[in-house]
Amino acid sequence: AMAGRLEPHLEALRRELRAPDPAVLSVLLALLAVAITILIWRFVQGRRSSRKAVLLLGLCDAGKTLLFARLLTGKYRETQTSITDTSAVYRASNDKSANVTLIDLPGHESLRLQFLERFKAAARAIVFVVDSVAFQREVKDVAEFLYQVLVDSTVLKNAPALLIACNKQDVTMAKSAKLIQQQLEKELNTLRVTRSAAPTTLDGSATGSPAQLGKKGKDFDFSQLPMKVEFVECSARGSKGEEGDADFEGLEKWLAKIA
Amino acid sequence: CFQGVRGPAAAATAPVNALIRSVLLQERGGNNSFTHEALTLKYKLDNQFELVFVVGFQKILTLTYVDKLIDDVHKEFRDKYRNEFQQKGALGLLNGTFDFKDDFMRLLREAEESSKVRAPTVMKTFEQSLKSQKTVKCMIETRGEKPKEKVKTKKNKGSKKEGTEAVAAPGKAPAGDKQPPGTGEREELTKDEILQKNREEFFKRHMKASEKSRSPKPEAQKEKGKKPRVWDLGNSNAKVLDYSNSATNGSAEACPVEEFDPEIALGDRNREPGRLYDLEYESDDEAEEEKVIQNPSKPSAKKGGLGGMFGMLKGLVGSKSLTREDMDPVLEKMKDHLIAKNVAAEIAVQLCESVAKKLEGKVMGTFTTVTSTVKQALQEALVQILQPQRRVDVLRDVMDAQRHRRPYVVTFCGVNGVGKSTNLAKISFWLIENGFSVLIAACDTFRAGAVEQLRTHTRRLNALHPPESHGGRTMVQLYEKGYGKDAAGIAMEAISYARNQGFDVVLVDTAGRMQDNAPLMTALAKLIAVNAPDLVLFVGEALVGNEAVDQLVKFNKALADHSMAQTPRLIDGIVLTKFDTIDDKVGAAISMTYITSKPIVFVGTGQTYCDLRSLNAKAVVAALMKA
Repeated sequence: AMAGRLEPHLEALRRELRAPDPAVLSVLLALLAVAITILIWRFVQGRRSSRKAVLLLGLCDAGKTLLFARLLTGKYRETQTSITDTSAVYRASNDKSANVTLIDLPGHESLRLQFLERFKAAARAIVFVVDSVAFQREVKDVAEFLYQVLVDSTVLKNAPALLIACNKQDVTMAKSAKLIQQQLEKELNTLRVTRSAAPTTLDGSATGSPAQLGKKGKDFDFSQLPMKVEFVECSARGSKGEEGDADFEGLEKWLAKIA
Repeated sequence: CFQGVRGPAAAATAPVNALIRSVLLQERGGNNSFTHEALTLKYKLDNQFELVFVVGFQKILTLTYVDKLIDDVHKEFRDKYRNEFQQKGALGLLNGTFDFKDDFMRLLREAEESSKVRAPTVMKTFEQSLKSQKTVKCMIETRGEKPKEKVKTKKNKGSKKEGTEAVAAPGKAPAGDKQPPGTGEREELTKDEILQKNREEFFKRHMKASEKSRSPKPEAQKEKGKKPRVWDLGNSNAKVLDYSNSATNGSAEACPVEEFDPEIALGDRNREPGRLYDLEYESDDEAEEEKVIQNPSKPSAKKGGLGGMFGMLKGLVGSKSLTREDMDPVLEKMKDHLIAKNVAAEIAVQLCESVAKKLEGKVMGTFTTVTSTVKQALQEALVQILQPQRRVDVLRDVMDAQRHRRPYVVTFCGVNGVGKSTNLAKISFWLIENGFSVLIAACDTFRAGAVEQLRTHTRRLNALHPPESHGGRTMVQLYEKGYGKDAAGIAMEAISYARNQGFDVVLVDTAGRMQDNAPLMTALAKLIAVNAPDLVLFVGEALVGNEAVDQLVKFNKALADHSMAQTPRLIDGIVLTKFDTIDDKVGAAISMTYITSKPIVFVGTGQTYCDLRSLNAKAVVAALMKA
């Protein structure tokens, strides 16, 4: 029966092929060629833009740009408030051929969300830099930015590995990573209540209700997140100041693991 | 960042950071100088290679060579390191040593010297002056003769007026100088001759037809008796336009004696002697001006035809860099579009300026038109402006205050009729929904019915959230003391009452007042200064246009002036009301956030209690940019 159904079509095809002016056929062939080209192109594109980026996020003056410079060149530089993103390829020190693209995003309030939008899809991992010295003062702002990063739909979908780098450990008043973790968990616990209670946005919550962070009912814990979260202490300036090296072995090891 | 900073490096970081944060990131990049504490910073953007050049100097100095210095540094740096920028990318910039210090010192020295070149001019002695060189015969003037041309001296170039004339040639000496011309050649003239001479200069100026008449004298008969002048500037050079008689400069004899035509000099013979006529609107002048301008534009249009096509092709390929001329028409259109969307006019202008500065010299990508690049940049700038500069989370702050066992005080201020009381009720409903108890302080003691309005709202809210459902405590209470009392006193009593009774939030409603009403503004400033509220919200309606700028500026100024503290309490946030009455003319949001750089905390979209929203920057910008 199948063959019977195909027969008339095949007959028509043969007739077309024999016809002196196969206009329809040529059109069909052209369309097929275009379709195949598009498919190949998408495939190649998909391969190329697989997530290979590591984003450096954080508040203003957390030390992202200095960390970036230290990771790439090992030298100390004076930095200013970043206005735009900077990206470069970072090769992990243990000679594996894999390399990642480090992207340093500005932390200023008016820019951070814009740049996050642009680069979040390409992120394989996120390094959230926290100023350990000013943490006590800024804990609410740090938590708010972290919250915005964590509830972002793309981030939740891709679940990039998250490292919270407690920077500026060379200063004596710096808080330890453990303390920062506890405080952030408490703050995020409160934030998910207040944020979901905020008035809906103007366009009638087109994005739906904001995602719930962690498990309901239980206190927020970083282990409840879909991605792996680690805390590490580091110092971009280094204990010896400008001449010496930065101490961030934890960070480097983590980057090597990610790559 | 260039490492070789003169002086201690730390001193350079803070001002530059302040410059970046307040100017570049807030889109105030219209003019290129910025003061921070004791320093003035001048900056220049290179958008092609994404560089920012900043020069800082002490505010008390007025250095004239700074602009030139910045330009020179920019050019030299760019040329020297052009390769590095183009090839190496970020890693190259980090690794590269930009050893520019010597070049910079050299350029600085050159600039300093060039500004010192003009030594103060010494007055000429009598022997040096030209007067002594002229023969006596030449200087005696008889009536009826046109006095000789003024000798143009190079030292007169100091006057700025000459530089600003577009049409006049530099040689036309009498034109720009306000100062009495010449070097003392006038003493021999009698008063009549001075009058005649002034009239002739006046006619000369009029015949140029490019400047407003300085004195409202009666309009002269146009140059009937004289030869028509050549007006076409396109193909004339300075020599043709130089009407000063070259023979008189320094030579002893030739004093040109021209025919003095009294007809021309006196003008309208039919006028009544002594009467001063009104200034008549000269439409002929304008016709001539247009002719003047038309002619030079025509030849350039022809050339533009071929160049334009080439430019378009180049634009398609993607190596075209944006120039001011390319962007101007697009920016004009965008500015008009913004103004049509109810953005205040001055803010639209400043925004477009800032975007132009950011895009000038930038290389466009492939297949992008000027319009799309400019639109993209403008959109990013608008989103940037609408992003809050500080945390906007009222509930979080209320929780904090709750922990410290003190009430969280919010004050609403604004002009008359914007919706303060309505939105106060909406916000208290929202707070009650989230489990906080609210005390409403009726500090509007002027408007008839204000207290009754709040009482009605309180009753309704209590009906919606009866005490039973909240563990027996009344969620909303009204604190009022009738009409005619002092608002600041009522507010203070309300806050202490709230502290005693354990209310979580105090919402203070004030009377509406115009920003020009000084005594009322003082009263408001006193209320805020004395009670130190946690949040000062300015309520503004979305229908307001250019007024928004004035309102906010004056409110902030009043609050700053009347506060005794070091850091005065200014407006902390904005409530944008009546948002449902505008379709997509949402420009007021931009105006308000641009002026104060404070976030929009709430948006009111109706009269019921649920019509309270928070701002979505992207949606607002999308509505704004929509054609």
